[in-house]
Amino acid sequence: MMQADIHKLLDETVRRERGWLIASLVSKFGPAKVDLAEDVAQDAIVKALATWPYKGVPDNPRAWLRRVAGNAAIDRVRRSAREFGVDEDWDFATEEPDIITPSLSDPELDLMVLCCDPAIEPRDQLFLALKTVCGFTAAETAALFFMKEDALSQRLARAKRKLKNQSGELARFPTRFALKARLPQLLKTIYLMFAWGYLPRRGRELFREDICREALRLSDGLFAATDGEAAGHHALHALLLFQMARLPARVSADGQLITLEQQDRTLGEQTMIFVGFQQLEAAKSSAGLTRYHFEAGIASLHAEAADWGQTKWPAISRFYELLHAQAPSPAVLINWAVSLMLSGAFKAAEETLREAAARPGADQLPSFHLARAKLADLEGDKTAARTALEAAKACQVSEPVLEHIDRDLSLSQ
Amino acid sequence: MAKFVLMLPHAPDRYSKLGEADFMELMKDYIGWVEEMSAKGKFEGGEKLLDEGGKIVTNVSGSIEVHDGPFAEVAEILGGYMVINAADYDEAVEIARSHPHMKHNETIIIRQTDASADD
Repeated sequence: MMQADIHKLLDETVRRERGWLIASLVSKFGPAKVDLAEDVAQDAIVKALATWPYKGVPDNPRAWLRRVAGNAAIDRVRRSAREFGVDEDWDFATEEPDIITPSLSDPELDLMVLCCDPAIEPRDQLFLALKTVCGFTAAETAALFFMKEDALSQRLARAKRKLKNQSGELARFPTRFALKARLPQLLKTIYLMFAWGYLPRRGRELFREDICREALRLSDGLFAATDGEAAGHHALHALLLFQMARLPARVSADGQLITLEQQDRTLGEQTMIFVGFQQLEAAKSSAGLTRYHFEAGIASLHAEAADWGQTKWPAISRFYELLHAQAPSPAVLINWAVSLMLSGAFKAAEETLREAAARPGADQLPSFHLARAKLADLEGDKTAARTALEAAKACQVSEPVLEHIDRDLSLSQ
Repeated sequence: MAKFVLMLPHAPDRYSKLGEADFMELMKDYIGWVEEMSAKGKFEGGEKLLDEGGKIVTNVSGSIEVHDGPFAEVAEILGGYMVINAADYDEAVEIARSHPHMKHNETIIIRQTDASADD
């Protein structure tokens, strides 16, 4: 195995297992023990990382982690069996079949529901869900929200205190009615999880397919449990499928970023695109329009275009306009501007970019600087294009994105 | 093929002051290296030593004295050891050069095992 493969294997194993371990332990002990669950999971991971350098990776790293965490949990349970009120013979390691049947009996979905407790601030619900369920590190979660790690940790601690205070049966499992109120936050968590997998702001990989797949799996599981009653769930699912289908075309054999313009559309997963369109059709009967509807609409236009030249840019920019009306953000403005540019509406693109620039946080987005570079390039201003590319490099991006910007810079010499 | 022991010392506070993400990055390098060496048939095995604890047993003029570690006054503690296969010291040194320990720490001590009594 190549070193890069080992890094990837470790990243995926640690993320997947952290989420699974915490969710399983919380489903066993209840949300009041979320700290214990996190500690036990964390200890097992640190132990793995500290000893595997001397032993090599075990044949089944996942089983290894589950055994170590299971033993640690049992150890703690024995020490305070009365406090936990569980039987001592509980065997953690053998409990879980590897294929989790998607349903709300899925421990990860259950924990996500618990994290989205209305007693916790909406933003903190997302932090908590991403950190505990999705197996994100504090650094990753902080980067996703452009926050300092310290500030995020403080908010997480406060959210966990609130979660612990929600004791009793209600905290364990919300009623169907209460669950319904939490669905929009569940969709948002899945959306954010996928977004990070699709374009991580750190690390050596252009995308994390394992995270994208996991988000898709959670979305599937939520369907099974709720019949897609959440407004926008079909649209979100369509969006994830369209984006997921494009992953293989986004990266070259040697790990380099391939831009949408250069992507080979025949590499797209046709089955996923097909199911995506079915989901999009189902999304039409949604209770209300959500941002996912417009985003899925945009993704569908990319999915149906045979190549870059046949992309319906004016229709895409119309969708961005609607998306902006629904969920305004600098990122939406930037993408809108790019679609205007590609429709040939340079003046409108320039104005939209200017509007984005006036918003706080725009200059933290690499896409902002890349859009500025593109516009400057189209206008023949090489110096401004280079300055914008340099600014993009200063943003939080993964290594392949950084290399891609470097290639653009060297081409513009 | 001879066996060589690589001893990997590090500063006492080298890992305790690291954040989780940094620690993980470091250890990924180590694990990646071990896997690569295993695939090449160079890696035999190893043990990580516990950071805490440690005893020194000394014979002081006929009476055995036992002292606790860790040894606060030392600049480095032994984190663990690995056994590798190499033709000679030249190859063992070459292998040690590629070790992530040389990137993340300062020293590797290499000793060849005495295999003369083996079958």
